[in-house]
Amino acid sequence: MSNGRFITLACLVGIALVAASTFVTNEYYVFAAYFVLQYVVLATAWNILGGYVGYVNFGTTAFLAIGLYSAAALNKWLDLPIPVLILIAGLLCGAVGLAMGYLTIRLRGVYFTIATLALSVVVQTFITNWDYVGGSRGLYVMRPTEVPVFGSYVAYLFFLMTVLAVAAVAIARVIERSTFGFGLAAIRDDETAAAASGVPVLRLKLIAAAISGALMGMTGAPLPFYLTYVEPTSSFSLAYTVNSVAMPLVGGTTSWLGPVIGAILLGTMQQAMTVLISSSVNLLVVGVLLVIFVIAAPNGILGLLRSMGGKKTDPETNPLAAMLVTEKRSSQ
Amino acid sequence: MTTEARAVTADELILDARGITKRFGGFVALNNVDLAVRPGERVGLIGPNGSGKSTLTNCLCGALKTDGGSIAFAGRAIDDLSSYQRARLGLGRSFQLPRPFHSLTLLDNLRIPLVYAVNARGGAHLTEQQIRTRSSDLLGEFGLGGKLHRLPGDLTQVEMRKLELARAMASDPTLLVSDEALAGLSHSEVDEILALLLALNTRGVAVIFIEHIMRAVMAFSERLAVLVAGEKIADGTPKEVIADERVIGAYLGQ
Repeated sequence: MSNGRFITLACLVGIALVAASTFVTNEYYVFAAYFVLQYVVLATAWNILGGYVGYVNFGTTAFLAIGLYSAAALNKWLDLPIPVLILIAGLLCGAVGLAMGYLTIRLRGVYFTIATLALSVVVQTFITNWDYVGGSRGLYVMRPTEVPVFGSYVAYLFFLMTVLAVAAVAIARVIERSTFGFGLAAIRDDETAAAASGVPVLRLKLIAAAISGALMGMTGAPLPFYLTYVEPTSSFSLAYTVNSVAMPLVGGTTSWLGPVIGAILLGTMQQAMTVLISSSVNLLVVGVLLVIFVIAAPNGILGLLRSMGGKKTDPETNPLAAMLVTEKRSSQ
Repeated sequence: MTTEARAVTADELILDARGITKRFGGFVALNNVDLAVRPGERVGLIGPNGSGKSTLTNCLCGALKTDGGSIAFAGRAIDDLSSYQRARLGLGRSFQLPRPFHSLTLLDNLRIPLVYAVNARGGAHLTEQQIRTRSSDLLGEFGLGGKLHRLPGDLTQVEMRKLELARAMASDPTLLVSDEALAGLSHSEVDEILALLLALNTRGVAVIFIEHIMRAVMAFSERLAVLVAGEKIADGTPKEVIADERVIGAYLGQ
């Protein structure tokens, strides 16, 4: 399928989702769908650096929170419309992704991962001590009850997240089939060999880090309006990081479809469990699934489907597994 | 891109490395090594294990930074260029242990150097169709024409070597540094790869041939350089070099 057709199809799916949401009378379901779509964007964004290039980023919360808090702060200061806040958050987090990449991406394997984890801690410390956005006390975000065209505010937020999800998936798919995407795959497979074939390794990694960071930041921007109250502990919840890593790994990391499958599956499951059992079992289940998949199906659901379809098993492309192998190799 | 090499005439050197020195901590891996290659020349580089052959390859191709000396390629200093820029200039390399892009098909393995080295070089830009034709032709020449859509994991050891060479050739190099392309191959496989390398050379590609198999080195090389403990102890025609007392000493022990 050509990129044009794919984008048209993705837009149609988006329009169908928004249209369907208007028929839903119980607002909880729209909230839940927003939650799942948010993870479609986060997982897709994570996969651009984690799956396509093989750099395992544990700093999702840093980017999400920068997007979230920049939107909250700018809203308090200037009262800008959310689409503008989303764009600003995207630019800001793209720049942070670039800077983080520049400082850390020369590190390989777990060293890079630890550096991204450290970024989360740094950002959290900064925000906890930033009085303007309430510091550790948190900040209430007022939202109007009605918006023109959409009616309820929740419907408006759902529309925005659908646009973001469609955009993220389209970007991931375009990258995957592009010269840029082939370059990223070459880097993932072997950086030295990629460079020897003319691939500007550092530049491509930085672009991937910037795109990935920008999309994560954009996901964060509407979040203060969804939550109406933001505070550091829940904004930096481990759930965002664990989910954005687990979803692509469970779905499959080499294709745009993997993170989408993972996000829909794990996202829906977590919503169901929150309602039916308890919100605290969520992460436990995600953790268990992650371990099972890394061990038993390193290429995720997509890999399983391919091998069931009679195709020879893919080479191992699981970034977590690859990270450990790289460590072993480099220590030899 | 400003990395395009100017045309080289036969009396100029394609590679002129002088005084290359590389240290790892206190260990001197290369000490003041000179190596010059003329366009289209076949230079064998031999030496016992640990003599610095692979380190020299890495220094020439930009995977390692040198601690001293200068490298000129096609008449231009490349000391400050990174690995990918050297590849774009036409300095190709194949790895001792094949390092294919294992998640890409054979065709796509060759696509990488075609789009990132050849197309980035400036001049004629290959279209999608030309990229496909060129990569499948090249794989055909290397006897891999029947496996275009397979993954490298499906290949045998000797096929993997061929893929390694085909990928290096896809970047359209003027100098190919071939690092032990024959290691671990059988007698007939050695001849097969050697014939491929000779065929590349007849198209004007200069080759630095790093090898342990003396039969192959003697058959292939027009000139032979010997590295021992990071120093070049001999450089001349194969006949001269194997008669050199220092070389005999290094290989057989005094």
